[in-house]
Amino acid sequence: MSRSVIFGVNGQDGSYLAELLLEQGNEVYGWIPNDIPVQLDNINHIIDRISLVEGSLKHKGSLFECISDIQPEEIYNFASPSSPYDSWNSSIDVGDYAGLGAARLLEAVRNIKPDSHYYQASSSELFGNPVEIPQNENTLFQPRNPYGIAKLYAHWMTVRYRQQFGLFAISGILFNHESPRRDLKFVTRKIANTAAKIKLGLEVELRLGDLEARRDWGFAKDYTEAILLMMQQDKPEDYVIGTGKTHSVREFCEITFSHLGLDYRDFVVSDKRFMRPTEDRQLVADPSKAINQLDWKPKIEFKQLVKMMVDSDLEKLRSSMYLG
Amino acid sequence: MKKALITGITGQDGSYLAELLLSKGYEVHGLIRRASTFNTKRIDHLYRDPHNGVKVLLFLHYGDLANTGNLIDLIYEIKPDEIYHLAAQSHVRVSFDLPEYTGDITGLGTIRILEAVRKSGLNTRFYQASSSEMYGSAPPPQNENTPFQPRSPYAAAKLYSYWITRNYRRGYRIFACNGILFNHESPRRGETFVTRKVTRAVAAIVAGKQDTLYLGNLDAKRDWGYSPDYVAAMWKMLQHGSPGDFVIGTGEAHSVRELLDEAFGYVNLDWKDYVKIDPRYYRPTEVDYLLADASLAKSELNWEPRIFFKDLVRIMVDADMELLGLDGPGEGKKIMEAHHGKWHRWQDQVISMEG
Repeated sequence: MSRSVIFGVNGQDGSYLAELLLEQGNEVYGWIPNDIPVQLDNINHIIDRISLVEGSLKHKGSLFECISDIQPEEIYNFASPSSPYDSWNSSIDVGDYAGLGAARLLEAVRNIKPDSHYYQASSSELFGNPVEIPQNENTLFQPRNPYGIAKLYAHWMTVRYRQQFGLFAISGILFNHESPRRDLKFVTRKIANTAAKIKLGLEVELRLGDLEARRDWGFAKDYTEAILLMMQQDKPEDYVIGTGKTHSVREFCEITFSHLGLDYRDFVVSDKRFMRPTEDRQLVADPSKAINQLDWKPKIEFKQLVKMMVDSDLEKLRSSMYLG
Repeated sequence: MKKALITGITGQDGSYLAELLLSKGYEVHGLIRRASTFNTKRIDHLYRDPHNGVKVLLFLHYGDLANTGNLIDLIYEIKPDEIYHLAAQSHVRVSFDLPEYTGDITGLGTIRILEAVRKSGLNTRFYQASSSEMYGSAPPPQNENTPFQPRSPYAAAKLYSYWITRNYRRGYRIFACNGILFNHESPRRGETFVTRKVTRAVAAIVAGKQDTLYLGNLDAKRDWGYSPDYVAAMWKMLQHGSPGDFVIGTGEAHSVRELLDEAFGYVNLDWKDYVKIDPRYYRPTEVDYLLADASLAKSELNWEPRIFFKDLVRIMVDADMELLGLDGPGEGKKIMEAHHGKWHRWQDQVISMEG
């Protein structure tokens, strides 16, 4: 049994990881921010089994106190604004939380609990508009938005603290990973949720951007299993995690609507306002290092993932309708 | 008349840039920290400059790179045509002790200024002082396409600023340039940097005030240029037809050992009689071999260095000797006077040096 603290425990990844750690009999501390609004929906079902702590990634003192009070063996840093697209509107804050926040936390670890294992949630946004396809641990980083830039800073600081100060610090470069717990502002959940509403007569159309945009989408819970494996290795290293396959937004819509007995072409409207300037890029993972060294592979296929997300939204909407 | 705002105006580059811009008729505004010990030694002479009797158009403002609101007010008030963002926690070794502070000032300071520029709606051109330290262990020579491998919290923060500058150029069409400057030195270099540390020691040894010089890794190789040449490159970037990123360096790399040979040899001393190795001066992760390929700056900006390694060392030793009241061999002084226009004068060197 070990003691872990998960920064951003209330997010998609934090909540799945908390479940996994609890299943394995570990003591779990869940850190949530006290300076921005938080939703606890993802952890309500386990809230009695984890110890919640509050703090601010903007204040080093708060992080030092947290690590000093808990004395964790494992530290997972998922705490960050999660949407690359919104990051243009809050670029300074994104740099402060996602970038400098990681530096502050690493300082706390180095000063107070240098023998603990540290996981930094990095992102395929590091690659931006990638120079090669697919992308692996050695692919050049070219971030394209303030979120990717802040995450790149956090990545390099993690590598520095490992190489310079000898910390067991890992940067996991995760490609898009989805689940019923994905925030509604992400396209996958937006499709699943709106399609379920259409099925129930609560919506009449689904407005999306570029239907041909392709992503490497995996299941978030599978990815948190990869994170656990990274942290259990003898040596800290960085890993790319993804499925290695891409699917288009159109495919996501097809599967979603046909699962509901509908034809997406009757409901989906392509709306220029949702177009991203960078949709031409080919973000696709080469996860061979993780497959070979961690003996990891994704368990849930794309189709299963889509259906799982739709079923979940349909069920949630139905039960709220009956209750209402 | 153009207006320029320089952050870091009290530093080596900021002070030379202020001289250059004043000589070109700019109204120059400088951002300085409100600190109890701030040091304006490098720019004090600009106020008392008596020649041609014209009022010096230099204005200093208190400002804080950690405070966004303050920067917005300042930029809105000054309405600069050009901003040269040189301020940073610029010491690589110190960044290992102060990683958060380094990230806040050297990294986030840049996005605070760029956000202020964007919100002001002005057509201000922006220069970002990027650094060859961003290349880390990438094999030489390094140019604009060499992948970055930052090896220190300082380099990681500078790389953050580099990408923010590029993205604000692409995303918001701001005329924003990265000058990726390789090491550049001068008599005004801070005394903790190895070049200045060596030339100061040479002068002190000649003066009989010092007998030992402690150094770290003698084999690290650097591309050392002359700061006044490099501030001219900054200015050229912002006058160019389109914004871009440019490597600035001499294209020559020399080891610390060669620096010792040149500096001590210039006054006929053998460094082996004075230098001792102290492992404490080794950087936690040493960048091995930096060598600039500045061909893009040459072809696009028509920029080339005038002073190379050997002459640089002579200039610095002459200045440090004069600072201690000694007569140096004087070759450096002659070289400087031959290579630069009247904006850059020998008599401004010694009075503006850190003692």
